[in-house]
Amino acid sequence: MKKITPIMVHTFLILASIISLFPFLWMLMGMTNTSSDILKGKFGFGSMLMDNIHKLQGMTHLGAAFYNSTIIAVVGTIITLFLSSMAGYGFEIYHSKAKSRLFGLLMLSMMMPFAAVMIPLFRMFSNMGLLNTPTAVVLPSITTAFMIFFFLQNTKSFPRELLQAGRVDGLNEWRLFTLIYVPTMKPTYAAAAIITFMNYWNSFLWPLIALQTQDKKTLPLVVSSLASSYNPDYGIIMVAIVVTTLPSVVIFFLLQKQFVQGMLGSVK
Amino acid sequence: MKKFLSVLLLVTLTASMLAACGSSNSDSKTADSTDQGGASKKKVIAWAWDPSFNGAALKIAKELYQKEHPDFDLEVVDMAKADLEQKLNTNLAAGVKEGLPDIILVNDPNIQKYVASYPNTFADFTDKVDFTKFSPYKVDALRVDNKIYGVPFDIGVTGMFYRSDYLEQAGYSAKDLENITWDQYIAIGKKVKEKTGKYMATINPNDEALTSILLQSAGSWYITPENKGNFVNNPAMTETLRVYKAIADSGIAKPVTGWSEFVGSFNAGDVATVVSGVWQVSSIMDAKDQSGKWKVAPIPKLNVQGGVNASNEGGSSWFVLNNSANKDTAIDFLAKTIGGSSEFYERFLKENGGVGSYIPAFSSAAYSEKPEFFGGQAIYRDFTDWSKKVPGISLGMYTQEAKDALKNELPNILQGADLTQSLTNIQSLFEQQVK
Repeated sequence: MKKITPIMVHTFLILASIISLFPFLWMLMGMTNTSSDILKGKFGFGSMLMDNIHKLQGMTHLGAAFYNSTIIAVVGTIITLFLSSMAGYGFEIYHSKAKSRLFGLLMLSMMMPFAAVMIPLFRMFSNMGLLNTPTAVVLPSITTAFMIFFFLQNTKSFPRELLQAGRVDGLNEWRLFTLIYVPTMKPTYAAAAIITFMNYWNSFLWPLIALQTQDKKTLPLVVSSLASSYNPDYGIIMVAIVVTTLPSVVIFFLLQKQFVQGMLGSVK
Repeated sequence: MKKFLSVLLLVTLTASMLAACGSSNSDSKTADSTDQGGASKKKVIAWAWDPSFNGAALKIAKELYQKEHPDFDLEVVDMAKADLEQKLNTNLAAGVKEGLPDIILVNDPNIQKYVASYPNTFADFTDKVDFTKFSPYKVDALRVDNKIYGVPFDIGVTGMFYRSDYLEQAGYSAKDLENITWDQYIAIGKKVKEKTGKYMATINPNDEALTSILLQSAGSWYITPENKGNFVNNPAMTETLRVYKAIADSGIAKPVTGWSEFVGSFNAGDVATVVSGVWQVSSIMDAKDQSGKWKVAPIPKLNVQGGVNASNEGGSSWFVLNNSANKDTAIDFLAKTIGGSSEFYERFLKENGGVGSYIPAFSSAAYSEKPEFFGGQAIYRDFTDWSKKVPGISLGMYTQEAKDALKNELPNILQGADLTQSLTNIQSLFEQQVK
């Protein structure tokens, strides 16, 4: 048994993918069954799909929630990527001792649990009159220590010769960033985009607190309210979960190649 | 310098973009509120957590109230119970009024905690509703320092739902299940297991529903009315845990890990009995193929002084916030419907299967209905009869903490640790937590 044969590798991978895909399959099957079939543990597709979709439409404004989630996630991701990449670039390229101390301090903020700052944050947004707006959801996380760290780490492998060549050609610092750094780091941006998008899309606690009226709610909040009843209808919940999961899946598959590259480092 | 300028420019740009986004929203909000003012409709906002149960109840109440107050309007906001509690706590802790509703649904074990933690936040209902018309144990839960802080809503009077077909097969008739003790229950369970191969019940070591039912049936609770731990030297507690362990040891209970597995096991016909609150009726009736096979008996009782064959699981009440702009309208609305209308309770039962604690409604036609599903038994009349026997207890402020302390020790108890020692451990753990 010196060699691991391709058959063994494949068997292992197939098993692993069955295990990780099972929840998805269960979710898709659940969409087509009645609640009590799901609870009984029925494994197989049923014929209730249209019925469940229909009932869900009657219960919630899924369209509005989808729109709210999309606005928050897309606008939030663009701003976060822009600000965090500039910060990461700045910390690494214009390096100095004082800046690395500042960066250390920034890293400490990652250790702060959100629940600890939630109540002051809520008061602050209330005083600013921003509660119940998408801005309130986006603003607290437009720069995160993790994203800055992520860009900084990736910038370490960025060849500075490119910047020097650019300077020789007469580019100013701003154009060095936009014309040379940004295009070179595309895979890093893709990876960061997926992570950030998922964070906004799935964020729950803060939107729950900050958004107050039904028409402003995001998808996770709607799913949570469906699951709350004493006797929840799991078929309907499964439909809502599929709707909620789909965009993340689509974005991941679109950016998959870049994501893997980005995780390995942009510049080889 | 140029770099600095461009960054500054971008920051301003982003900020203005966000601000634009924000202000357009707040514009529309102010427009909304002027609309409401202009139409002179008093719109009351309420938070509830189950659109097909308590949310639906409010809608019935709204229809009834609108008959006499045509300018009244109500918006029900549905959200998950945990979400509702999180939002309420954040708002109250931050001292922010914005976004709070006028009416809020409160789970009974939270009542004392809310009233004590946020004084002067909830409206006093003491003279607004005739509380003598409600089951006393339900009113006891709402009483803090001799004031009553809300309108009693649904109750969770418990019953023992059972599959009459399984029990018949094991040789038991309805009569054999009336007014039994838990030891008799276990004996019946063993027989059922032997004859039908079905489990008698489910057991979930991470859930304290059963222990709560047992304790209240003997008029006891996890904590004393003075909010001290009630684990040591409490015969009801000792007996509760003895019974709990006996059920687990006897092998008549199917282990389950969560709510959906619990519901799934009786929907699939795996268990012969379900000891639960009256609201479980709707989950049981979900399994349409089992129609006619279910019946309900009073729950077994604990063999201690004061033990009765009735208890309660869950239940909630409506509160009005003192700071709300529509406080008086909200109080009047609740007092005239949920707090004093038999018609409301009849419709709530017929349309949503909800049982309240309003005694005048118990003699109505709706409550003597005999559903086919339960073999023609007048289950609601039975449940309301039992509800009058439920011992009143004070739920205190730290019910959740006490339950958590118990849950922590429960595995040891089930493994056969010395009960007295375990109870001392629970008591000290609880006291550490609430100190």
